[in-house]
Amino acid sequence: MADSNPWQVVTIDEFKRPSAPTVTRVHQRWQRVLRLFSRQEIEPEEEKTNDEELPDNSEFNRKPAVTALDHYFEEWLEKKETTVCFLLDPPFSGTADIARDWAKQKKWKLVTPPDINEIMTVDIDSWWKKQRIKGKWLIDDLAVYLVRTADGLSFIRALLPHMLHGDFGQGLVTCDSWMFEFIQRIWQSRLPRVYCFDAAGVELLKHTGIHASDNSLRKLAARVRGNLGVAKAVWLLEKNKDRKLPALPNDANDLTAFVLYSILLHRSLRFDLLKDILSMFSSEKLNAQLLRLEQFGILQYKDDQWRIDIVAYPAVRDFLSSRDFLIDAF
Amino acid sequence: MDSEQVLGLFKKVTSGTIIEITILIGAAVALIWFFEKMLPWLAERLHSRRRLLVLAMIPTIRILVFIVAIIWIVPLLIEPTIQNMIAILGAAGVAIGFALKDYVSSLLAGIVAAYEMPYRPGDWIEVNGTYGEVRHIGTRVVTIVTPDDTVVFIPHLKLWRELIHNANNHDANLMCVTNFYLDPDHNPEQVCRVLEDVALSSPYINLTNPLLVLLDEKPWGTHYRIKAYPMDPRQQFQFISDLTARGKQCLRELRIKFARVSTDYTVVQNQK
Repeated sequence: MADSNPWQVVTIDEFKRPSAPTVTRVHQRWQRVLRLFSRQEIEPEEEKTNDEELPDNSEFNRKPAVTALDHYFEEWLEKKETTVCFLLDPPFSGTADIARDWAKQKKWKLVTPPDINEIMTVDIDSWWKKQRIKGKWLIDDLAVYLVRTADGLSFIRALLPHMLHGDFGQGLVTCDSWMFEFIQRIWQSRLPRVYCFDAAGVELLKHTGIHASDNSLRKLAARVRGNLGVAKAVWLLEKNKDRKLPALPNDANDLTAFVLYSILLHRSLRFDLLKDILSMFSSEKLNAQLLRLEQFGILQYKDDQWRIDIVAYPAVRDFLSSRDFLIDAF
Repeated sequence: MDSEQVLGLFKKVTSGTIIEITILIGAAVALIWFFEKMLPWLAERLHSRRRLLVLAMIPTIRILVFIVAIIWIVPLLIEPTIQNMIAILGAAGVAIGFALKDYVSSLLAGIVAAYEMPYRPGDWIEVNGTYGEVRHIGTRVVTIVTPDDTVVFIPHLKLWRELIHNANNHDANLMCVTNFYLDPDHNPEQVCRVLEDVALSSPYINLTNPLLVLLDEKPWGTHYRIKAYPMDPRQQFQFISDLTARGKQCLRELRIKFARVSTDYTVVQNQK
């Protein structure tokens, strides 16, 4: 059954990015060189009108993905161990939504994340008691369990041993792939039982409604590093010939990188929390940076939160990678 | 060696030879100028190890162009026989020994520096107590810019006798040490954890490199050191400032007192 399912769950070590055809790789490198020498500033796009809004990346049939998850964890569930498994969620991949669907189907309890006060006071016991969980559980986004400030890391440090020792029973933890790398850095060793969905290839892209030639799909999958959500967004944007993928401003500097990394790490951030994370920079500087990145289509401001625009994610990843930031494994 | 013998070393110089030599020198100078302008411009658009790699190419390219030009020009002027070379090198040796010893020593050290590479553009070095970033490696001197934006010219000659301290040794990893001086009455485990979290939450830190918090007991208190790497060597001072400011704030919140050197201790130290 699982063989015909385009969705596959793999261990993190088994994950393989789709490889691009040689011509595409050469073209990508040439584009990078051209960008390096180009002084021309790419004009920010006009404000998007409502009918131009891109559809949500989670708009695809998640049932086959849930089935794949179910099939993969069958053995683990039967063992009735009190172990915890980690499921990595690359940004915009929709993995957390799939995990929520799966947990709902299994009638697993969704753990309520700690609020900012609980994170700072590191009161794990009272936070867990409040959950009133007797059976199996799902943490759908571990990234909200810490804040990258000097006093915001202790909670996750205290929580991980509890989870790994099985004090909370059997559970699945979905974690943003960027935050997972950071948590492993804090934890100072590799966490066990780490899984993810295999990279989206031609078959999966077709399955989720992207219709193009195999070669185009192969190129698309390689460009977005097998991230389904980003692939859908990029494909939809490029169908519209009037719109281009956003690029970072030419004057992007250290602060640009810090802002983008902080937002990506926490998936989305309120301004006051961003101010706490980058406390050495004034509010004026941060505001100016955020607004400029929004103008260039790199950031979105929605529901009081700043987040990376889905179509800007490949450019942001490239930018942070070129500056030696701790990037994810995808 | 009389004047006739000296003249015998050289070939007959025609106007064609002069034009050829002029064009060669012009081309070599233009090529060196082009690379010395273009590569730093390109390096400024790159970061960390890519930037250093591009900067490191400048002295190597200059020497290569220089060697090619010499190999091309010398046979145009001199018949390259063994006798001729011995005669010319002998005459040059006398001139150098009497008049240009230090200058030539610097030039030779410059060639050795290009080969041994004790410093390359983009490195942070300390020579004779002067610390700064290597901006340019010339034929005779290395130019560094100190953190206070002062340009210092150091003759390569120093290479023979002085200790050269290279903080990042051609790559982007430059360890920064941030000091904290605390009153001895505290929980060291708690302080180590707090200082580690201060470092891990710094936007400047290179998370792929190791991080260490060390402590050392002194007569006046406890000396803590955070040893960590910024993402780019140019961020070292902002990184240390960030760690110091946030570290002090966190320690104050924990009501940990900072060390104060007593008058007695200062007197004893002064007497030593």
